[in-house]
Amino acid sequence: MRAGRLRDGLVLLGLALYAAPFFWQALTSLRPDAELLPLAQLWPSRLTLAHYDVVFRLSLMPRALVNSLGIALLSTLLAVGLGALAAYALARLPVCGRGLILLGMIAATAFPQIATVSPLYLMMRAFGLRDTWLALILANASFALPLVIWLLAGFIREIPLALEEAAAVDGAGRPAALRWVVLPLVAPGMASAGLLAFLFSWNEFLFAYSFTASEASRTVPVALALFPGVFEVPWGDIAAASLLASLPPILIVVAFQRYLVRGLLAGALRE
Amino acid sequence: MARRPARAVLLGMPALLLTLIAGGCGERATPGAPVTLVFKHAKILGPADPVPGLLRRFEALHPGVRVRSEALTWSSDEQHQFYAINLEGGSPPFDVMMLDVIWVPEFARAGWILDLTAFVPAAERAAHFPSALEPAVQEGKLWALPWFMNVGLLYYRTDLLAKYGFAPPEAYDELVRQVRRIRAGEGDPRLDGFLWQGKQYEGGMVNVLEALWANGARLLDDAGRPFPEPARARESLAFLRGLIESGVSPGWVTAADEELTRRPFGDGRAIFLRGWPYALDLFELPASPVRGKVGVAPLPRLPHGEVGAGSTGGAHLAVSARTRHQALAVELVRFLTSDAAQRAMTEGAALRPSRPSLYRDAALVARDPSLPALLGLMQRGRPRPITPYYLMLSTTLQPEFSAVLVGRKSPERAIRDATAQVDHLLRAIAP
Amino acid sequence: MTDRNLSWLFLAPALLVLGGLTVYPALWVLWLSLQYRIPVFSIARWAGLEHYAFLAVDTRFWNAAGVTAVFTVVSVALECGLGLGVALALRGQRHWRRVALALLLLAWALPSVVTAKMFEWLYHPSGGLVNFLLGGRAINWLGDPALALPALIVADVWRTTPFVALLCYARLLTIPPELYEAGQVDGAAGWQAFARITWPLVRPILLVVLLFRTLDALRAFDLMFVLTGGGPAGSTETLTVYAYRALFQTLQVGFGAAIGVVVFALVMLVAVGYLRLINRESRTA
Repeated sequence: MRAGRLRDGLVLLGLALYAAPFFWQALTSLRPDAELLPLAQLWPSRLTLAHYDVVFRLSLMPRALVNSLGIALLSTLLAVGLGALAAYALARLPVCGRGLILLGMIAATAFPQIATVSPLYLMMRAFGLRDTWLALILANASFALPLVIWLLAGFIREIPLALEEAAAVDGAGRPAALRWVVLPLVAPGMASAGLLAFLFSWNEFLFAYSFTASEASRTVPVALALFPGVFEVPWGDIAAASLLASLPPILIVVAFQRYLVRGLLAGALRE
Repeated sequence: MARRPARAVLLGMPALLLTLIAGGCGERATPGAPVTLVFKHAKILGPADPVPGLLRRFEALHPGVRVRSEALTWSSDEQHQFYAINLEGGSPPFDVMMLDVIWVPEFARAGWILDLTAFVPAAERAAHFPSALEPAVQEGKLWALPWFMNVGLLYYRTDLLAKYGFAPPEAYDELVRQVRRIRAGEGDPRLDGFLWQGKQYEGGMVNVLEALWANGARLLDDAGRPFPEPARARESLAFLRGLIESGVSPGWVTAADEELTRRPFGDGRAIFLRGWPYALDLFELPASPVRGKVGVAPLPRLPHGEVGAGSTGGAHLAVSARTRHQALAVELVRFLTSDAAQRAMTEGAALRPSRPSLYRDAALVARDPSLPALLGLMQRGRPRPITPYYLMLSTTLQPEFSAVLVGRKSPERAIRDATAQVDHLLRAIAP
Repeated sequence: MTDRNLSWLFLAPALLVLGGLTVYPALWVLWLSLQYRIPVFSIARWAGLEHYAFLAVDTRFWNAAGVTAVFTVVSVALECGLGLGVALALRGQRHWRRVALALLLLAWALPSVVTAKMFEWLYHPSGGLVNFLLGGRAINWLGDPALALPALIVADVWRTTPFVALLCYARLLTIPPELYEAGQVDGAAGWQAFARITWPLVRPILLVVLLFRTLDALRAFDLMFVLTGGGPAGSTETLTVYAYRALFQTLQVGFGAAIGVVVFALVMLVAVGYLRLINRESRTA
């Protein structure tokens, strides 16, 4: 038993070392400016919150955080909402061309973003949607939809048909069966799909970089990439901004781990 | 009964519309209705920033007008990206913009900036350097006014050169000889020879262009075809690479921009620096280690070229084509580029005016004795190719030149590949 | 309402969004690639296959293709090897499993821009931890054309190994311990147990992961764009970065679209090839 604990502890240490780059960045965000360049010692002489102060007061990060949160939430809602309906249809209802639709969806996940970014840019420009939340909500939702539908269709198929048949016997039509029988049961699956969609939207960079022009819609990854520096790069401030940008992913990995893992596994292990 | 109100509305409508239109067209700031102009510009380098003072003076001259100043990001390429994204297909949230001189033809061709011809009298135009005005005049119309002027020049350590009895080098092989001699004499391993900007960005492009011109090579011929003198261009590129290989320049110049090279020179750790005039003010600050030990000279030449082929640069001020306050915005531009404003900028910040007359002004020269010498350098300087497609060219060529500087490609191959890429570009632009 | 009608009602919104924002642009980019299109200067002309003809002899394109190939192959190979190793180490984990997984998945969950900035700082010549740990040598990781690509690959492997590890780990958990006990009776232990029991059972999932990861690596953009911008001197410029520069820096939408179509075709080719391989595997298994 002792050996088991020791072994597990070593593995844990190994993984902590693996995550060391992140902890180093966290330490950098607390290191005073004077001790950043050149690096003289591992642990700083004192810890400071000056970088966070700069990020909150002087940078565009606060606004970017709001943008990212709003866009991620709304695109997740859109993707899961539309995805759940479509998944139910594909899993339970007669669909002509089901195979083709499924194949199309799988293919859609393989489309490289770099290829679709230019037509989408022209499209957004034509509709006057550049630098708006809506452009990114739509783009992110469209990218998350195939995965969401794929996941949810699988989860729905796991629910025994008998439950819905029982509901039908009780006089409930399809929509009611969906609302009262299927959805509650597939809710954990929807949570998984939603978490993945949220994570994807929060981390998305290419579309956000290309479609946004000002702090009206700039998301966190873009704000981080464009972090201003007058003469030299402000590494401490960037580290602080990076930490802030990582808060939702950290939260998901720590608090919602079970759903996240379930979503990842379901997506990959289903043939 | 229902008809009377309807008729009143019908009669009232045209009157209402007319008042609205008249009110909207009026440029005068009606009292109680403040007009805010947004002025977008990069942070001004140097000891003091004169812009806020100037803007307050403009506001005092135009009651009811506020000018909000907004800063751009530091790098020129990012500034351009910002402008392009904002101007291209929307109503940009700014009225007056500071543009790098190389962008003016492009912005004019794209229809993003206002035609200023009617607003600016010929005498006012002629007061600026011809080489500064040339890029701003496209198809006979004036699109921007020069705000400040730059030219690439050679900084050198007067104390080190005097110690070994050298005069500022007129040719690059002389510069190399001096570097070797001085470093051998000083015996300081941390003393670098010649610092310049070799990073893959617009500044790096400037350095390469200056090397081309120093050898009598051009980037484009009059018809716009690339590398009309390929052999000389090859020599220039080989020379730059040679500086790094021989150790005259440290290897990190291939990742260095203006500030990364200015600081070591300003700390006394280099003999020569290729830079812009703003750096001189920083070298002459009271706390600077090199105060009083820095001289300014024209860039040296290579075998086939001439001395002083520095690139001119600087910024212009332009008005957004979509601004809602045309007359006021133009007023701001004319105010900021006026004699008085440029005088204030020369006194307060490390900026050099675009008006030749100010270089001979007694009061200014008393404060800054280097002005007359700079005037000569500016007049000898050359602008980068004046074409709306300059930035496209530059971003296409930068990787090729960078490949030579880091030793990844030979100059021959780089020029061959660069020519192919430019030809492809030109096929799209000018069939 | 009949089931058939209902199915269309439920499917329509999703198909509309997908069709409009994924399929339509995919067709449009093909059309764009056949034109000279520079919106800023209002240039819009037919070009036919001219862009592709240029790409065929463009050294910058072939350099980018080479970088993409090296990046993909090395990165995916390292990820899968390392991921399997981590999974094997985790398999026996009984205590602190949640913490272990959290530490592992952190690297995967971070935004790629955060990872890029993080590694940019780690690789800094004078302020970076890497040089500090190497005894204070000022190696310019991201500025040296010979070192930049390996440095980029390390960052990418760090970021993506957790995904592989998680999937392998989940698969390993489903292998019943009785198999190993039976194997031990036969005298197979340690390496033999791995080769005869573990590997055949893990291989199918590893193939699927290989497919996903290869497609992702071919399409990767964020990390190299923010970390190195494709430099120095194009040593880390993948096809995606080249396409981006053509599109948004030189504003050649037609030409950039052509490069995008090439990436598209490459990805599709690899996907079809892999799927065939997996199908054959599952048939013979």
